Amino acid sequence: MKLAASEGTAKGPAGIRPARPGPLIGFDSALLLWLLAVAVLALLVLNPLLRLVIASFQATETGEFTLANYPLAYSPRGVRALLNSLFYSGAVTVVAALLALPIAWAMSRTDMPGKAFVRALVLGAFITPSYLGAVGWILLAGPNAGWINRVWMGLTGSQSGLLDIYGFSGLVFVTALYGFPYMFVFTADALDLVSSEMEEAANILGAGMLRTTIRITLPLVLPAILGGAIITFLDTMALFGTPAIIALPARINVMTLQLWQFFEFPVRAEAAAAYAIPLILITCLLFGARRLLLGRRGYVTLTGKGEGRTRMRTGPWRWVLLGYSLLVCTLAVFLPFAALAQAAFSRAWGRGFSLENLTLGNFEYLLFQQFNARQTILHSFTYSAAAACLAVALGLAIAYIVDRRLVPFGNALTLLATAPFVIPGIVLAIGFYAAYAAPPFALYGTAAILVLAFTTRFLPIAYVNCLAALRAINPEMEEQVRILGCGRIKAIARVVAPLLKKSLAGSWLLVFIPATRELSTAIFLVGANTRVVSVMLLDLSEDGNFETLSALGIILLASTILIALAGYKLLGRDVLLRKA
Amino acid sequence: MIRTGRRIVAILAAVCTGVLGISTAAAQSDHEKQLYDGARKEGQLTWYTAHYDQALATKIGKAFTQKYPGVQANVIKATAQVSFQRLLQDIKAGQVQSDVFSSTDVSHFVYLKQKGDLEKYVPENERKIVAAFQNVDPDGFSAVTWAGLVAISYNRDKVHEAEAPNNWPILADPKWTGKVAVGDPNFSGMVGVWTVAMARLYGWDYFKKLNQGKPLIGRSIDDSVTVLNAGERVVAAADPAPTLRSAAKGNPLAVIYPTDGAVAIIGPSGIIKGAKSPNAGKLFLEFLLSTEAAKLVAENFEQSLRPEVTPPPGAKSLAEVKIVRPSIEEIAKDLPANKERWKETFGM
Repeated sequence: MKLAASEGTAKGPAGIRPARPGPLIGFDSALLLWLLAVAVLALLVLNPLLRLVIASFQATETGEFTLANYPLAYSPRGVRALLNSLFYSGAVTVVAALLALPIAWAMSRTDMPGKAFVRALVLGAFITPSYLGAVGWILLAGPNAGWINRVWMGLTGSQSGLLDIYGFSGLVFVTALYGFPYMFVFTADALDLVSSEMEEAANILGAGMLRTTIRITLPLVLPAILGGAIITFLDTMALFGTPAIIALPARINVMTLQLWQFFEFPVRAEAAAAYAIPLILITCLLFGARRLLLGRRGYVTLTGKGEGRTRMRTGPWRWVLLGYSLLVCTLAVFLPFAALAQAAFSRAWGRGFSLENLTLGNFEYLLFQQFNARQTILHSFTYSAAAACLAVALGLAIAYIVDRRLVPFGNALTLLATAPFVIPGIVLAIGFYAAYAAPPFALYGTAAILVLAFTTRFLPIAYVNCLAALRAINPEMEEQVRILGCGRIKAIARVVAPLLKKSLAGSWLLVFIPATRELSTAIFLVGANTRVVSVMLLDLSEDGNFETLSALGIILLASTILIALAGYKLLGRDVLLRKA
Repeated sequence: MIRTGRRIVAILAAVCTGVLGISTAAAQSDHEKQLYDGARKEGQLTWYTAHYDQALATKIGKAFTQKYPGVQANVIKATAQVSFQRLLQDIKAGQVQSDVFSSTDVSHFVYLKQKGDLEKYVPENERKIVAAFQNVDPDGFSAVTWAGLVAISYNRDKVHEAEAPNNWPILADPKWTGKVAVGDPNFSGMVGVWTVAMARLYGWDYFKKLNQGKPLIGRSIDDSVTVLNAGERVVAAADPAPTLRSAAKGNPLAVIYPTDGAVAIIGPSGIIKGAKSPNAGKLFLEFLLSTEAAKLVAENFEQSLRPEVTPPPGAKSLAEVKIVRPSIEEIAKDLPANKERWKETFGM
């Protein structure tokens, strides 16, 4: 990295002609940048949040001040749904950790074979919309007719199946299968940055592999694990698709299902706002708890780019590790997609496998006959791409200001840029709805409101990524340019941005991929002419048009993989699943 | 070059449609002709609809323009609640975008009528539809343009036609324990109306009994089709339209119209007050009740409101099945309480 950077600087100044004295211009442009960043952040984060708080105290018809929304939202049933959600999210976080941590560790620290393959499969789980995975799992583990259960009943002659997806454990399991990649990304990234010197020291002092891992490695990456855990927890709190498909039949009421009912006639968006407020408090508490837990050992994260890392030799255990990784990926990707593929390539999926039942018709219908489907897919990709561009640009601007300490209130900016982490997607959508749907903005039903909401929702990913990348660049390089007489903006454009090209593209993809599958925000904000694939998938599931639904899911998966593969090719393998 | 070429094609097309327009206009009634003349001056209309799926709604819009050249129909399809939110948003902002509003939730029309947001219009074609669906709003602010049913669907591979439940009480019989699927009135308007009908016919105990049979509760009424195809459950309270659409692909599904009555859900349409194209809107309302539209609807396995249109294979026409239709007042009175009782009975 450093070598490449110094090459960049060597070339940089040669192309830049000395111009007017820099500092004044630099100060001005930085101030402008700062003001712009604050304005945009306030627009994207503060405004919807404030609107949310205000709306929760307004009467639906008159807009007068009232406290009535709170008792309406916090009926005993509402409280129970909230508690269910907390418990559900907690359980998902634990299971996701069990799935993610061993794989992340094996990938980063050991000589496990087949790493590239496993990484690609984790990517597959990352880009799978969780509700699509949930549908796949209903086909696999439905208590009466699920494939796994039918095989089990066939083998054992048992009258009842082995698994029942319609229960709390089924719900947690399926959610965790698609939630674990976040935790994986965070942990693997941290493990990659930690130098192995301390592990070696432990080894020299006689600690075995297990002891070293638990006593040395684990504490070193604890902050990253906690970060990933919080993201997983919040993601689950805000999840709508999987609970709609599994929790409802299992008769488990969770917060998002409860929220949805406020949007049935008569719509009580104000009660929904009241219901969402404490979520912000809960999430602030989570981050507070994290700070409390880690506050005294902040030093562990300061190890920077790890140098001289060695892979642990695990002998025959490496096959066990590979087996575990493949098992998790099979459960998350292979099995459910096999089930979906059966429907996608069938004329009538209820007929099961047979040659004459095989068809490409569902794909043909979507891609060539139904104009709307193509348009919807296009919407998804263009909105996500636009959101990714905005998020990365904004993330980079704020990260730069904060990292180079250009302004006194850098911490306030960090707070704003990471705040969307603490707003579950569904709540964010309600805030956006309150802030921008009505005049003067009148963005209801426009593409802009979706792009802005996606940008806000995934801004923290871009911000964190850019910040990490910026820290790897020595500021001296821009300073040289500025000594030669360039302004701050020019220094950023000609030196920093080119050096960061790979990281920026990586952040772009890390925003783009989740944006294409984003449902919880979209479902409230999508208009008649701005449908996106995630919403269309849910619509199709309601029409009972399962063949087309599966085909659309496979198209979504395939096109995202193509985009991701293009990313691989352009940028080298690691960018996709590493934060920096 | 290409641009000029396109322009020429466009001009030719305009000329052709103009000629065709004159020829269709010849067969029109005076009333229709009057509306069409007005509509042509307006040039277009916008239809906010919760009826049908996107593909069928678009098809109906195109068929309208084909019948009435020079009047473009902009079809904006969304779910009932989203369409309604959008409409209210437009009205609030003083910018009415839609001329015709169609919903599957009758309460929307009760609300709009009360607020004075609807324009009175009784379509001429209304007296040609199945009698039970005429004159639903005696004041003439809306007309029924869509009807859905809740009947019983079953998986033919797992249940013989002779054994399948042919009335609603059988569905709650212990014989079908663990085999039934239903929707949830808190998430589906059609299921809501179905609960109103069932509770009025058999009392709320019907649902207590049903719950003992451990039904699988989906979100939408149409989730049942998926569950039946997967073989996860074998009988369901379901909408015949998606069931028959799926059966037409070759899936092992069939419909039974219960002897004690399939539950009818009505979807009205109305003209929005202050609409930019009132004539086109009225003409479109007439078209929704025409045999042309009814044929398109029936081809797509939805219920035709015109009795003379033959239903597709496996389906029955509204005129030949026994129907239970809770009134708008009954729905308004019972539904909120039913939603709460449902949660209690089924333990949500």
